[in-house]
Amino acid sequence: MGQPRSFRTEGVVIRSIPMMEAGLMVTLFTREWGKLRAVVHGARKPSSKLVGHLEVLNCVDLTLHRGRPGNLDIVSQAQIVEAFPALRMRLEGATGGMYMTEVVDGFGAEGSPNQEIYQLLVQCLRALHGGAPREHVLRYFEMQVLDHSGFMPELHLCVDCREAVQPGQHLYSPEAGGTLCPSCGIKGQQVYHMSVNALKTLRYFRRSSLEEACSLRLEPQLSRELTNLLSGTLKFWLDREIRSKSFLERLA
Amino acid sequence: MTGWPVPSAAPSVARLIQELNKLPGIGSKSAQRLAYHIIKLPPDEAHLLAEAISVVKDRVIFCSRCQNLSDTDPCPICTDERRDATQVCVVEEPLDVLALERTHCYRGLYHVLHGVISPINGVGPEDLKLKELLTRLDGTSVQELIIATNPTLEGEATAMYIRRQVGQLPLKVTHLARGLPVGGDLEYADEVTLSRAFQGRQEL
Ligand SMILES: [Zn+2]
Ligand SMILES: [Zn+2]
Repeated sequence: MGQPRSFRTEGVVIRSIPMMEAGLMVTLFTREWGKLRAVVHGARKPSSKLVGHLEVLNCVDLTLHRGRPGNLDIVSQAQIVEAFPALRMRLEGATGGMYMTEVVDGFGAEGSPNQEIYQLLVQCLRALHGGAPREHVLRYFEMQVLDHSGFMPELHLCVDCREAVQPGQHLYSPEAGGTLCPSCGIKGQQVYHMSVNALKTLRYFRRSSLEEACSLRLEPQLSRELTNLLSGTLKFWLDREIRSKSFLERLA
Repeated sequence: MTGWPVPSAAPSVARLIQELNKLPGIGSKSAQRLAYHIIKLPPDEAHLLAEAISVVKDRVIFCSRCQNLSDTDPCPICTDERRDATQVCVVEEPLDVLALERTHCYRGLYHVLHGVISPINGVGPEDLKLKELLTRLDGTSVQELIIATNPTLEGEATAMYIRRQVGQLPLKVTHLARGLPVGGDLEYADEVTLSRAFQGRQEL
């Protein structure tokens, strides 16, 4: 009841779907409200002053009017805070951005803010825009999203017998929640063989900064292994494949 | 404005609302409004609408050359000998062909993709009429491919993807200029549009 009719927030546009009569429905990942869907009336008319600002991947300062109960909020003003033009002008950058928005769309919930993931998304978009290596950024992003969503896999102990895993003697299972020792791993259904380097890299990505993560050397084989481990983990928690992944792979 | 029993609509009305609700961009409120609009139409008009829907489903086909919707194959544009067959303009949707035709400034042919690459919405390159484009370009007289996808993230990504796919072919690939809308105001333009307009500036 006592809520003001309009409110202001900052968010990244993660999805945009055309609606009737030149309108647009945008999904934003906002700093204060988490995932938020809103309507932009007349956005697709060339005369619209909003549409350029509300392009997917833009970080925008927004003013919204609360919709009536059962209706979506309405965007009344939008101003770009940060656009990432260099990212969208390269196919690798654009697809990397698409991939991250799909992950955020999957893990984010409406009305449930997560400032860490918000900061992470902006930081990673900025990095891709600045030409940071895409695979590093995406793996770091996945690892940190898992961490800030409360799904960080165990990377030190066997999740079954709780003994410390020995170097070179470890398996990994998204279902079980992380690393397993070889004897416990047999019982598990879907188990990945995990190299020492992959384990070390994941541990490092968990505690390092993005800059530090990007300066790490990733051999193609290690990179592929990390991609498999992490996409398996995301798939388990989301209960579906990230659809942008197959497109990313096709371009590789 | 009284008398419409919204909460417990008659089954036939509820069914119409339900069907309309399945259309893209139509929420339950809009579906209700449209349904009651249709109910209020004179019987002739309502039947014309119903007939148009069923006829279009029976008759419309994809032109095997340009993939545009048509009642004939090939479509009238593809069979028009006055058109320049050395140019093909790639657009997202059939409506884009109509919009470009209204300008009367393009006399080449078209290719309709029927969408854009949009992984988040489950649309990959294989879901578009891209294979058809590549087959069509292979060994033809086409000299220029004009990519006219929308200047959105997904439209741009699709354009870049097509460019990469046709990279080997002896073709000139161009892209519609992006910039300020006619009648637009510099003050309200966003940074991306402005910087693109700047990059695409031309000598006067
Ligand atoms: Zn164990
Ligand atoms: Zn045709």
